[in-house]
Amino acid sequence: MVPKGVLVDITKCVGCGSCTVACKLWNNLKYDGTPADGKDAALGAESWTAVKWVEAPKDGETVWRFVKNQCLHCHQPACASACFSKAIKKTADGPVVYDEKLCVGCRYCMLACPFNIPKYEWDKSFPRVRKCQMCAGRIAKGETPACVGVCPAGALTFGEYNELAGLAAERIQKGGYINHIYGEKEAGGASWLYISDVPFKDLGFRTDVTTRPLPEYSESILKLTPAVGLGWGAVLTGIYVYNRRRNEIAREEGEKNKK
Amino acid sequence: MKNRWSFKITPVRVVLMGLGALGLALMAYRLAFGLGSSTNLSDQWPWGMWIGFDVLTGVALAGGGYSTCLLVQVLGIKKFTPIARSAMLTSLIGYLLVMGGLFMDIGRWFNFWRPFVSWGYHSVLFEVFWCVSLYTTIQLLEFGEIATEKVMKPWHGLVKKVLPVLFIIGIVLPTLHQSSLGSLYVIEVGKLYPLWWSMLLPVFFLMSSFFVGPAMVTVESALAGRAHGHRPDYSVLQSLIKVSGYLMLVYLGLKIYDLYSRGVMDLVFRGNLEGNMFLLEMAAGVIIPLIICFTPGWRSTRAGVLSFSVLVVAGVIINRMNVVFTGMSGYMGGSYFPSWIEWGVSLGLLAIGVLGYLFVVENFNILPHGNKAEESINAPSGERGYRLSPSGKAY
Amino acid sequence: MEDHLKLEKEVTRRSFLKMMGGLGLSGLALTLAGCENNTAVNAGGDGWLPQQYQIAGTWPAQVRGRVPIEASNPSIVRDDQKCVLCGQCLEICRNTQTVYGHYGFPLINDIVCINCGQCSLWCPTGAIAERDDTEKVLQALQDPDKYVVVQTAPATRVALGEEFGLPPGSWVMGQQVAALRRLGFKQVFDTNFTADLTIMEEATELIKRVKGELKKPLPQFTSCSPGWVKFCEYFYPDLFPNMSSCKSPQQMMGALVKTYFAKTKNIDPEKIYSVAIMPCTAKKFEAQRPEMNDSGHYWKKQSLQDVDAVLTTRELARLLKRKGIDLNSLPEESYDPLLGKSTGGAIIFGATGGVMEAAVRTAYFFITQQEPPAQLLSLTPVRGLSGVKEAAVDIPGVGTVRVAICHGMGNGRQVLEAVRRGEAPWHFVEFMSCPGGCQSGGGQPRTSVPPSDEVRQKRMASLYSADVRMEWRESHENSEVLALYQNFLGHPMSELAEELLHTDYVDRGKSFKQLASEELPDKV
Repeated sequence: MVPKGVLVDITKCVGCGSCTVACKLWNNLKYDGTPADGKDAALGAESWTAVKWVEAPKDGETVWRFVKNQCLHCHQPACASACFSKAIKKTADGPVVYDEKLCVGCRYCMLACPFNIPKYEWDKSFPRVRKCQMCAGRIAKGETPACVGVCPAGALTFGEYNELAGLAAERIQKGGYINHIYGEKEAGGASWLYISDVPFKDLGFRTDVTTRPLPEYSESILKLTPAVGLGWGAVLTGIYVYNRRRNEIAREEGEKNKK
Repeated sequence: MKNRWSFKITPVRVVLMGLGALGLALMAYRLAFGLGSSTNLSDQWPWGMWIGFDVLTGVALAGGGYSTCLLVQVLGIKKFTPIARSAMLTSLIGYLLVMGGLFMDIGRWFNFWRPFVSWGYHSVLFEVFWCVSLYTTIQLLEFGEIATEKVMKPWHGLVKKVLPVLFIIGIVLPTLHQSSLGSLYVIEVGKLYPLWWSMLLPVFFLMSSFFVGPAMVTVESALAGRAHGHRPDYSVLQSLIKVSGYLMLVYLGLKIYDLYSRGVMDLVFRGNLEGNMFLLEMAAGVIIPLIICFTPGWRSTRAGVLSFSVLVVAGVIINRMNVVFTGMSGYMGGSYFPSWIEWGVSLGLLAIGVLGYLFVVENFNILPHGNKAEESINAPSGERGYRLSPSGKAY
Repeated sequence: MEDHLKLEKEVTRRSFLKMMGGLGLSGLALTLAGCENNTAVNAGGDGWLPQQYQIAGTWPAQVRGRVPIEASNPSIVRDDQKCVLCGQCLEICRNTQTVYGHYGFPLINDIVCINCGQCSLWCPTGAIAERDDTEKVLQALQDPDKYVVVQTAPATRVALGEEFGLPPGSWVMGQQVAALRRLGFKQVFDTNFTADLTIMEEATELIKRVKGELKKPLPQFTSCSPGWVKFCEYFYPDLFPNMSSCKSPQQMMGALVKTYFAKTKNIDPEKIYSVAIMPCTAKKFEAQRPEMNDSGHYWKKQSLQDVDAVLTTRELARLLKRKGIDLNSLPEESYDPLLGKSTGGAIIFGATGGVMEAAVRTAYFFITQQEPPAQLLSLTPVRGLSGVKEAAVDIPGVGTVRVAICHGMGNGRQVLEAVRRGEAPWHFVEFMSCPGGCQSGGGQPRTSVPPSDEVRQKRMASLYSADVRMEWRESHENSEVLALYQNFLGHPMSELAEELLHTDYVDRGKSFKQLASEELPDKV
């Protein structure tokens, strides 16, 4: 499987919100009042993608930009690494998918995600974690994610990840963009890439995300576990045996002295 | 023995039972109707009081069990033997409550067993989950030594034989998960305020859980002493605290080194919420206790020992709260305050824990010089101590 | 687990369509055509289904997205829950109105929309609708301190009946007046009155241009379609000098109600709440334009806006139904005096070419001081639904006057490009934003999807036959208009007329990146 990805060209988005509707239709999401576009657009348990209207400074004037938000599908997802029951996995195709059957509902994934993507069905008795699945089923069949398929403005491009990165660089080289492919390095890289003509910081993107894959942080510690456990156990056993032996000797000597 | 089991009913215990019953009812409500209808958790604050306090702080405060076990059973420091059993018992009850709190907090509780089968071994939580559940099992087996003195006596010999193994595993496991609780927040890089986020978080969590152990044992001995009408042996507690003191010196040094090496020292004195809370945590929870500890005239007094212990316990609570709430609030935004149901469940769990402790102490040989005749006189006032105790939360 | 607890699923129109689509073509045919093995492409008869649902297998097969609609758009709103992403709005907006896709990227600071509301007629699920202002109007009607007056556009009287079961084109002018009285409007005025007034002003302006008294270029563009005005502001701001400075009839009426009428009847203009019933969603935008407050200037009260609320024909029908008023059972009543009389020239404003025809009648009279010949009263070349219509009229004294008419902004572009190139032989050009003119405006009752020429023709025929029935056919014959000039304005394009009845335009060309003509989509 060649990893797939999506390139979001912010300069081409008109803010029609087709992608948000397609997402709801394809994933059977409800309308729960969370605005899917406009100023207050937000992700939610029933809103896996949202197009936020942002006013950003550019060349001394304020320009309107529309920012499609959804899971970035990191190459090394913090959420999947945080999941202790393997309910979240990165597939070979690229999507980071969630399996509710395995989910315990601890919400560590929500805490781990550097982009605050996963949402929770707080109102349900047995809530699920909810986030964009990148239409993994459609991708497996060779189709585009639903949102990409309906974009009338050509703001979304679906394709093989490596080619997309090249396409992004190509567009940047042609001019009219800032020299930053968001998602290329952030959190160690993601299947969704963004290019823009205004700095991502002004669009509400988190630009202080580490470029090191987040799982590496905890895994660098976790890998010490067996060594620490066994080593510490050995040390303790050693001390314990030593102390017991010493006590025995002391007792024997005491008995000897008594005699 | 004419009466095999005894449990005195006093007004305070009735109140505790009431709290416990309310807690159980609220737990049933939460399990049936979900987290949204019972807690103030949100997408912005996915973790709240139950994880932050009942679990993270609870595990730390229950650290008295393994630290005492290390001192007594492995290092063989015999003078601490008198407190070993009670420290172990509070730890066991603490862990049972932690498991209870955890069970309340997981959204799909019918799936609680999944990680035993579906191994997300790359998750810190996986390690915590396995260690905590194994350690609780180990503690139950360790308690078997005490239990078989009274029930199922034929098993006593066997339990005694495997005890050394249990002790060693019972120290290794908490070492791993106490530190892992800190590692949980390592992945919050960039989200957790830099005063707390550090690659050394697991070390800090481990050390603080260790040095809070003696403090916790002291507090609880003092309370149990009042409840059961015997004077705890302060000379033992004094030496115990000294162990804490030395470790805290290392802790303080490491903290300062950590802040310097990451270049975030200036954040401490910035005067913002995070800076001030950090100062509070370090001053009240580490520096003042250290002064008490290493001023010989102070440590030798009962008041000195008690205030040291209370401060250290409070310091660790503040530290865990800072990591879970203060340090995350800047990034998370929004606000979170536990709902009354969250409070009710936490208090209920606590009440059940205290009742369990009292029951076990009354029926098994836990405290040194246990004297039941005196207890009946002193119990009411003593239990008031439990009720008002600000730090008695974890067990 | 939760899902098992909630077996019943809400059946929405959309989920129903989806379910039907899931059955595939044959399944659909079997279901809807009563077990007939009908393999016709349009399975299920004449009803419309979004095409993508008729394709078995994966979904969405042919969804095409939709136009952007800003949340604060004063004219139209969209309900995401009804949208099926069929792309019909894109079809009309991009290919007929040439708005979507005709601006460059990246955007600057506007979601380009000319507020024409045609998308609301093309939308098969009713997801796009007019912004509902009925509540605002009801509140005003219930407010005892407010003196609520209303005006009705030429085109609503041939369409409102459709909402009450009458065939397209049914003439319900009198019933509409009666219905508005039943709703509690104190005065029911006729926008046709100001249509006549517009002709007086616009014909005068045209003659001044032709004679060189007014240093503005030819051809002169009509300015009564607010969608067209905004289109010009967006895409052809360089042609502002060609644009007639006349306000639209709605805004002329708005200005006069709070000045002339208020003065004559001695009513506090601040208490007047002025409502307009329009076939048009862009009129909602027009009424909100900040410069449309000339009555405020007149009285030196900045808070006055000339028109306070605009209801589309659809909203009026909704309001009447809500109040239990059955249009069919009402008697025919007449408009209130002072601003209520009109001529045949005004009535045909509702059809494409109508403004031009009315203007030619009056211009002929203004120039020759004689009644126009009979063929000018039935100027067939300017009638009908051809996209761009041209006519040449001989007027003694000035020679041949060439006129052009276009409706739908895609057709408009052709004329505008010719003007830009300096290849425009015309003296006067009528632009109407909506295909077919006002009678097929974005606020009119929904008919077929997409709107059919059949309905358009019926409504137009009704307007033209009403014109023939009228006592006066030419705007300058309107006695109330003449009285208005005599008692208040003085003469066409007098200083007061300029203040109240004329306007200027806002350059919106910088709110997005203009495309060069070779960058425009193919269809232009």
